[in-house]
Amino acid sequence: MMMASMVANGNRDGRQGEALVLKGVDPETCMIVFKNHWAQVVKILEKHDPLRSNTSSNMAALGVIGLSSGGPMRFGGPIPGDEASAVQNYVEHMLFLLMEEDAGQAGAMGPILEFVVMENVMERLFLWSLRRQFTDDMKLEQLKMYEMIVGQARQPLLHHKPVLRPLMMLLSSCSGTAGPEVEAELVSLLNQLCCVLAKDQSVLELFFHTSEDQGAANFLIFSLLIPFIHREGLVGQQARDALLLIMSLSAENQRVAQHIAENTYFCPVLATGLSGLYSSLPTKLEVPGEEWHCLHREDWLQMPTLVQFLNSLEFCNAVIQVAHPSIRDQLVSYIYNGFLVPVLAPALHKLTLEEVMTTTAYLDLFVRSVSEPILLQTFLSFILLHRHENVHILDTLVSRINTPFQLGTVSLALFQTLIGLYCEDVMLQLILRYLIPCNHMMLSQRRVVKERDFYSVSAAKILALTPSCCSPEHSPPPLRQLDSILWSKGTDNSPNTGTMETEESFLEEDGSGYSCVIGSEIYLDVNYLHYLYNARLGISSCTRACQVWSAPYDGEDPPPEEGRQAQTTTDPAPTNQLELEWDDSYDAGPVVPPEAATAESSRPPQPPAAEPPKHIQEMRRTAIMLVKGSYIEESDFQDDVMVYDLVAKKDARDTVDRRRPSRETLPESDMDSEFNLEEDHFKVSSLQEKDEVPLSNGLSLPPHPTNMEVNSSEVTKGSKEVKAHVADHNSNLQSPLATEVGDDLMDQYEELIRTLGSDEAGTGGSSHVKTVDKEFRNPVVTPMEEDEVDFSSFSVDTPELEKQHSSLFGTKLRSGSTRSHSVPFTGPFVSVLLSRLENMLDNSLHVNLLLTGILAQLAAYPQPLLQSFLLNTNMVFQPSVRSLYQVLASLKNQIEQQASTKKDFPELITSAQHCLLARESSLKGQDHKTSNNSPPPQPKTISLARTEVFATVLFTEFLKELAAIAQEHSILSHVPMEE
Amino acid sequence: MNKQRSDSEEQSGEQQQQRASPARPSFGKKQLPSIPKNAVPITKPASPAATAQLANGTHASYGPFYLEYSLLAEFTLVIKQKLPGIYVQPSYKSALMWFGVIFIRHGLYQDGVFKFTVYIPDNYPDGECPRVVFDIPVFHPLVDPVSGELDVRRAFTKWRRNHNHIWQVLMYARTVFYKINTMEPLNPEAAVLYDKDVQLFKSKVIDSVKLCNSHLFDQPKMDDPYAISFSSWNPAIHDEAKERMFTHKRRPEDHHKGLQVSGLSWVKPGSTQPFSKDDNPPLS
Repeated sequence: MMMASMVANGNRDGRQGEALVLKGVDPETCMIVFKNHWAQVVKILEKHDPLRSNTSSNMAALGVIGLSSGGPMRFGGPIPGDEASAVQNYVEHMLFLLMEEDAGQAGAMGPILEFVVMENVMERLFLWSLRRQFTDDMKLEQLKMYEMIVGQARQPLLHHKPVLRPLMMLLSSCSGTAGPEVEAELVSLLNQLCCVLAKDQSVLELFFHTSEDQGAANFLIFSLLIPFIHREGLVGQQARDALLLIMSLSAENQRVAQHIAENTYFCPVLATGLSGLYSSLPTKLEVPGEEWHCLHREDWLQMPTLVQFLNSLEFCNAVIQVAHPSIRDQLVSYIYNGFLVPVLAPALHKLTLEEVMTTTAYLDLFVRSVSEPILLQTFLSFILLHRHENVHILDTLVSRINTPFQLGTVSLALFQTLIGLYCEDVMLQLILRYLIPCNHMMLSQRRVVKERDFYSVSAAKILALTPSCCSPEHSPPPLRQLDSILWSKGTDNSPNTGTMETEESFLEEDGSGYSCVIGSEIYLDVNYLHYLYNARLGISSCTRACQVWSAPYDGEDPPPEEGRQAQTTTDPAPTNQLELEWDDSYDAGPVVPPEAATAESSRPPQPPAAEPPKHIQEMRRTAIMLVKGSYIEESDFQDDVMVYDLVAKKDARDTVDRRRPSRETLPESDMDSEFNLEEDHFKVSSLQEKDEVPLSNGLSLPPHPTNMEVNSSEVTKGSKEVKAHVADHNSNLQSPLATEVGDDLMDQYEELIRTLGSDEAGTGGSSHVKTVDKEFRNPVVTPMEEDEVDFSSFSVDTPELEKQHSSLFGTKLRSGSTRSHSVPFTGPFVSVLLSRLENMLDNSLHVNLLLTGILAQLAAYPQPLLQSFLLNTNMVFQPSVRSLYQVLASLKNQIEQQASTKKDFPELITSAQHCLLARESSLKGQDHKTSNNSPPPQPKTISLARTEVFATVLFTEFLKELAAIAQEHSILSHVPMEE
Repeated sequence: MNKQRSDSEEQSGEQQQQRASPARPSFGKKQLPSIPKNAVPITKPASPAATAQLANGTHASYGPFYLEYSLLAEFTLVIKQKLPGIYVQPSYKSALMWFGVIFIRHGLYQDGVFKFTVYIPDNYPDGECPRVVFDIPVFHPLVDPVSGELDVRRAFTKWRRNHNHIWQVLMYARTVFYKINTMEPLNPEAAVLYDKDVQLFKSKVIDSVKLCNSHLFDQPKMDDPYAISFSSWNPAIHDEAKERMFTHKRRPEDHHKGLQVSGLSWVKPGSTQPFSKDDNPPLS
């Protein structure tokens, strides 16, 4: 008791007072005092010692026994209080003397320390406390005593076993059952010991040996710290700091590394601890509002469990950063197999939308929190490569972008994070792998991939999509007028004749050495300069980051052919079709990655299901409920598929209801038409229902010489024959490899379009081909329509075409996917992004901000394959490939249509611009805390529900952003590296 | 005031996005019109043709940007070409005017240092070919003895976009001093002399070179901050610049390291599979 109080109070005042007292005292006197005190102590000790003449090793053994039995009084009667306090008094003084003693000459022990070592003072004192009631208070007292002498002694004490060993015994006696105070003190002492270790590695050996003496090949101080890894608060922090010190030790010390990796549960505890902490996180987040899409600092700071998880994750990150590779690899492996796969993967596939959304937000936060490349790689390979119930996590995540609920927004935010990593592997899996084969473009276009846009042609074409209601000439937005006024201040010339010119000095700030002088008209769109500036920054940093990539992705490296081979040789396992549904309404990409389709095409065809699988029935039921407006997400959401399907329904419904009259041929029964993608069974039924589509497309089907008797009235009958016919053609296939067929096909197809497309005289065959061509070029193609195209093409006399399409169709049937490998496809991610973009006018503002943000992020990547696909408006793509430009063009048309039908549209646009402007300045204000020009007062408030108005404003700004990126690419991507 | 605040909170989607994480590039940020702080309006003679020739006449306000970037692209091409002995610099006032100097290292015009100006038509690249005018009319069959203009058009009868580039004009300006052509001269005297009396031609050339070089340190003809001006060697100024020039080459990489923007890749070169590098830690 007294010692504790002495330590507590005396640490500062008492000790310093003592030090002052001791200052003038010569060492010999100190030694004498020390010995006298000790003699007094020994008297009392021996009086109560049942075994008078014991050796230290016996005592050690007894001590251990005492520990294991909980350490109550075992010898003799109770020790009188006055004797106990007498001992404490003496010890208190002795310890002061010990701490104040200087080391002897040449690092030898001082005389007091030597005496302590010889007489085994510390161990005997420890046993004395054991003999008394070894309460928490007692432990606390002892721990503080050691903390004090270890921290403040003027000579190294831990080198000496008689000091070290009782310390170890004390430490191990404190593990396990102690109360929080003792734990705190224990961790504090352990932390201190680790600091000593980090400074002086020679002690390390002793720590190991001492452990061995104890009978366990245990690195005790390390093992004692492990239980505190995931502890919250100061204790946990101190423990983790201490462990980190040992981790950096391990990097240099093979023995420590080996011990930790082989003899301790450090890595498993750390990794499974993550799982434990994860399980205590809320499974459903209370989201503040509809626009919420990711966990920010201020969000998670209010969630103690999440803070705790992030602390542990951060600790893992730090360990991986500093630890020996063997520990690092082990930890990474445990995190993968002990947390990501068994915990996070199922969590990402929970049953309700809210839960799944929450998990996605967590995953996004985790990826953002991790900085160490190897840990990041662990997370990324989980996302990119792990399959949960046969479906890649990535595929699932991508498909969720398309959900209309908050899950879609949160998923978008996750992808924004992923794309912002500048990680080659991510970009490869998301997009580049689909672009490498170059079959999304016409063969002749391959050389265009690397071509430079000298004259900003693409930028001009993109900006030409600016809706007339937003054109700077027609209705100058409020601030542009303001700009004009400000701009004309500098000159007294008549604004009509004088041309303004500005020197944008900020363009020089990035040190590129260029000066940019822009001669401009008075209505120069000033904010376009900002877009250019941002584009330059974005592209520059992206380009720099991508220097570590393995290939330039320029259409030559990796070579298109090899890319294809690589795809076919790996990753052969087929994806479960039914789990995945991208938005099939347009791009109708393969539900499986191309390679999977190819691999599967060599398998025997699946027997058609006798009746719809249960979950499809379920899906249909839910879909109907949604359509009727009675969908309740909590209770009915059972499967992602349902959600994706619902979205498709919703989209289709919206389209019919409102604003896409161009899409005349919508499936009558869109429920069924969806299902045909998966099951032959459904395909047939949908064909039956869609018999008038060929007519509405203006196709006239000439009689076919083979068994196909197809006309508008007999499709029902014909559908069976279709299958037979397909089988015929499959057996006639020359090439066994789908890839080769695909290659051929594309070349021939291109050739065909070239030769036949120019032929104006419509003979039966050529006019049909033209129709097919037109059909393919039409960006708005429903899966049904495509099927019809395939279907009707059987009747064409042209042998090549027949063969091609039959092979296409055959692949489809066998793989069960909507499109075979040979059909150009730019990947599900691009497909989904563009689909959502196409719905821009219906999307809420924040969804559009995310979407356009992601697309701009992608556009800033310097890889020619990506650049040419997203930004090169001159590129000729395969007819079935939907490009960003096409989507933008269709959006422009939608907007023009809205503008022409709504009288107050221009007014609303102005209000929305003001609204967004006010928002931006308030953001700026928050960011910089500077008072900048306050925005002009808003003339009118506008409800955010007018999504089409906000989308129009945003669309116009997005065009500028893209154009600016295109322009900067034309410069930056071609500046020689030395520049 | 209150009203505005509540509005801004309502639409805090973007704001959150910005605060999301330092790793997130600010790319998604849309900018609405605002006033750049550094924009300094300067008057300039009107150039009526600047926007007349735009392909997309509807958005003339972007015309200057297209022109500017076309010229920047041309300039980067010039840099890439590393034409021997030729240096150019766009003027401060207009990207359509480039200052240049050409050093002739051998041949009849050896040691000549000729300053010139390139004038690019403002309907570039759809107009005529750029003009090259020497500050001092060099004695040369293809250089107008009064205006100093080089006959460029003979080499670029029709300027074709995507096909013709400004570096070719500069290349041509250099070539004329090494391969003398006397057909249809702008300076008939020089042409005749070259054909009839090479010795006299040579001495006239030497005089011309001397004259040009004697005016080397003159103030630039054009009052422009980026005009090329020569001065005699001044260690106080030039030594440091020289030093920097020679150390410049190693700078870019250091520069990059400092920024700590680094991408990630675990793709083995030659592979198109993610995490194909050999040194990936085993995950299972």
